[in-house]
Amino acid sequence: MITKTLNIEFKDLKLSSSGIETVLGYKEGDDRNLVTSLIEETLAEFKEISNIKAQFTVFNDVQFDDDTKSVEINKIKFQIKKIVFGQVKKSDSLAIFLCTAGEEIGIRSRKAMEERDFLKGYVYDVVGSEIVEAAADLMQADLEKSMLDSGKKITNRYSPGYCGWDVAEQHKLFQLIPDNYCNIHLTHSALMDPVKSVSGIIGIGKNVRYNPYTCGLCDMKECNFRKVRIRTT
Amino acid sequence: MNEILNRIAQCVEFGKINKTSPYPPNMKDQDGADELAKRALEEGVKPDEILENALIPAMANVGNKFSKKEIYVPQMLMSAKAMNSAMAHLKPFFQSGETKRKGKFIIGTVSGDLHDIGKNLVAMMIEGGGWEVIDLGVDVGAEKFLKALDEHPDAIVGLSALLTTTMENMKKIVMAVKEKFSASKILIGGAPVTREYCDKIGADFYSPDPQGAVNYLKQLAS
Repeated sequence: MITKTLNIEFKDLKLSSSGIETVLGYKEGDDRNLVTSLIEETLAEFKEISNIKAQFTVFNDVQFDDDTKSVEINKIKFQIKKIVFGQVKKSDSLAIFLCTAGEEIGIRSRKAMEERDFLKGYVYDVVGSEIVEAAADLMQADLEKSMLDSGKKITNRYSPGYCGWDVAEQHKLFQLIPDNYCNIHLTHSALMDPVKSVSGIIGIGKNVRYNPYTCGLCDMKECNFRKVRIRTT
Repeated sequence: MNEILNRIAQCVEFGKINKTSPYPPNMKDQDGADELAKRALEEGVKPDEILENALIPAMANVGNKFSKKEIYVPQMLMSAKAMNSAMAHLKPFFQSGETKRKGKFIIGTVSGDLHDIGKNLVAMMIEGGGWEVIDLGVDVGAEKFLKALDEHPDAIVGLSALLTTTMENMKKIVMAVKEKFSASKILIGGAPVTREYCDKIGADFYSPDPQGAVNYLKQLAS
């Protein structure tokens, strides 16, 4: 079992106003007058207050069960369901990861909404999500690099709450990692505190593949995510 | 009188909150929804008229433009804030009962889910449609919805979810609400939610966008 803590600084995330405007839905030629300066101010503010932490632990004791689409990690059974199972089943080992942008971002976003400064609250929320996802990208890249020496590859990352994997299984995930790992705690309903945090698993092995997230992985044919994707591609 | 109502409506539609707010640039240094609503009341315009002839139609225009993807979430949020700044002047009239809301609407993001942008947009648009909104927040289980219905039994209920896994919790909440308050209307929404899913879990209405929710409530109130 190997645990690694990454030292990620805000500047490493390479976030830009234009990138976040794209996340907000803006396209080339759109008037961005309303949001550009607010995003720039938010990035400058969050550079000072974010508290980025990222860790992963690699577990070699993993057993896959094709019948139940589940995996046992250190004797704890996860019902990861068909989609995630299909992506990680060829793994020799699994990494459990946690990343957080720190608690202050969530606090400020909630405060702005409570003060009915809706746009600020929304931009804070989106920028906070982008920070933690960018940190998770760096953590994932680090894991990939560290596995290359032994000729192993990694899968994409998968989190409870997505792809049919019940969010309640987050409690089991947290049983496998040391207390206060990244200073993230779980609420009764399995949500993470700080809110701008991500957790999940990554498959590792010689025969695994990295597949981007696409609706083709999912069996929810009527889902609006899929409909929007079809309309826009 | 029509002119000031038109100006309030324009401020709300284009997100001009007050005189000092820089957005939109072409309305810089002009009075915003805040000052104009205050002035309208001082000039004797009835609060009902401000609500019915300025705020509600302006927010309906905003909702329709959003549905047609002519504006983005940030513009909608600016309009909601402009509407709020006008609504603040109407609040005493709602409290005294001189101005009546169309009804009550209880909304929350279902348990296990903390995504609140969609829920907030719907809440803002419905408030702009003249309804009193009781926002229960995020990660809300059946018990909390039932408690809110105990306090406001005539309210319509709105459930939001962003995750394919947490939308399953909608089913539990719909069952619990229908069991205790069989006449309560429940509308559901959120990115993975569909009309088919709405029918499957026994909810009453599905809307793919906030304006659809406003229109449904309008139908129920008429």
